[in-house]
Amino acid sequence: MPAAVEFRSVRSTEEAVASLSEHGSDACVIAGGTDVMMQYARHELSPAVFVHIEGIKELTNAQRDGSLRLGALVTHRHLADDPVIRTGHPALAEAAATVGGWQTQGVGTLGGNLCNASPAADTAPPLLVADATVELCGPRGIRRVPLEEFFLGRRHVDRRPEELLTGVEAAPLGPRQAEVYLKVGRRGGMVVAVAGLAARLSFDEQGVIAAARLAVCSVGPTPLRVRPAEEALLGLCPSGRMTDDGYTALEEAIAALSGAVSPIDDVRSSAAYRRAVLPRLLRRSVEVCRAAVRAGISQDDLS
Amino acid sequence: MMWIELWVNGSERVAEVRPDETLLELLRDGLGLRGAKNACSEGECGACTVLLDGVPIDACIYAAPACAGRAVTTVEGLAHADGELTPLQRAFVDTGAVQCGFCTPGFLLTLHALLAENPTPTEEEVRRAMVGNICRCTGYAHILDAVAQVAGVKE
Ligand SMILES: Cc1cc2nc3c(=O)[nH]c(=O)nc-3n(C[C@H](O)[C@H](O)[C@H](O)COP(=O)(O)OP(=O)(O)OC[C@H]3O[C@@H](n4cnc5c(N)ncnc54)[C@H](O)[C@@H]3O)c2cc1C
Repeated sequence: MPAAVEFRSVRSTEEAVASLSEHGSDACVIAGGTDVMMQYARHELSPAVFVHIEGIKELTNAQRDGSLRLGALVTHRHLADDPVIRTGHPALAEAAATVGGWQTQGVGTLGGNLCNASPAADTAPPLLVADATVELCGPRGIRRVPLEEFFLGRRHVDRRPEELLTGVEAAPLGPRQAEVYLKVGRRGGMVVAVAGLAARLSFDEQGVIAAARLAVCSVGPTPLRVRPAEEALLGLCPSGRMTDDGYTALEEAIAALSGAVSPIDDVRSSAAYRRAVLPRLLRRSVEVCRAAVRAGISQDDLS
Repeated sequence: MMWIELWVNGSERVAEVRPDETLLELLRDGLGLRGAKNACSEGECGACTVLLDGVPIDACIYAAPACAGRAVTTVEGLAHADGELTPLQRAFVDTGAVQCGFCTPGFLLTLHALLAENPTPTEEEVRRAMVGNICRCTGYAHILDAVAQVAGVKE
């Protein structure tokens, strides 16, 4: 019989780091517990101590001055409802609104979603396209890691056992820029993504794509930013509702995207379906961003 | 084992829990409150929904020791002490939103939380709020009717 586990609630980052330093990899951080409790019940975890962090009030805030700073304990409901996030980071708000049901979103946290590092983590693609950086606090101070480098493998991140993820910093939308998160599932709610794609696109005065960020989830061991496909999109001029010609112009980006992903067959979908749906997500994301930027510009003209 | 203090349905309770106990185990086995139901044990069905500081959560995947110092509301805590039902409970009865009844406590708590923050939700808002609660009898239609009856749901 395994030794009894201990449950310790901490009130500050310092207290959490002290606990984690004391127990090292025998400790398991628990925030909302929506991943941890199930993994524990399935015997995928056997920690000596749970370090419960929901009481660290300073990690529950979302602040915007220039860039957006999200505490690790910001919940999915908060991300989905906060007007500042909905306007500056609509793809992130949309993604959070699709995580499980209200019961999951009310306690499930951003930090938990990123540290759990599921291939299907919905907040990851929108944060990857916002050039997000995670902040880790350890006994020797703070370390910042680009989110792109934080994901090392399925459920494996660049976090040392004594470090707490304290926050995430992300760049908000700029002028003539739009973003979207598209998630494919078997039904409208309570689904883990079969495939997900976030795009953040900038357009110049002529409507030509001047900068592009693309990221995907559920099509490889980790959420992934797809730089070759981003490059292929530069210079593209999608017009209105895209015609077949417009689609042809996207082929290079689609090929680059297909080359970068490594989907598998699993209970939710087949690899073949995932490959089939990705090009459609990319096309739609370009249409949606183009339409959003046009609408934004005509709004500016009116005001 | 460890001792925690928490508020349950407005009363302060002291309970002994295992460090790895779920809130659902504490409520049903420790405190004898059987309103929250044990079904999927994976946060998928919502039959165990309770409110934690007013927020709907799945008690089956929430750690009991994490509730120390916090307020839990279960279906037993909704009606008045004299047994008078809340308007939403009354509407569930009137519209036939209760069939086998197994999912009912979970729906009531989710929907009470919705109406507390948004007293006149649109039907779309009601549907979205209920995404984490499964009902296998009613097809949800009567549940939507019940909310409409108390909230004057907008079209
Ligand atoms: C029914 C259901 C549906 C779900 N649907 C989705 C979905 O559609 N999309 C999706 O992406 N996820 C989904 N999830 C997974 C889960 O809800 C999210 O990943 C959630 O964001 C996890 O947050 P948490 O606070 O509950 O994390 P916890 O379970 O507390 O922790 C998760 C992991 O992160 C670590 N951790 C947490 N916080 C920190 C920190 N600050 N520093 C260091 N390590 C930390 C923990 O040790 C653990 O390894 C679902 C879960 C359930 C139960």
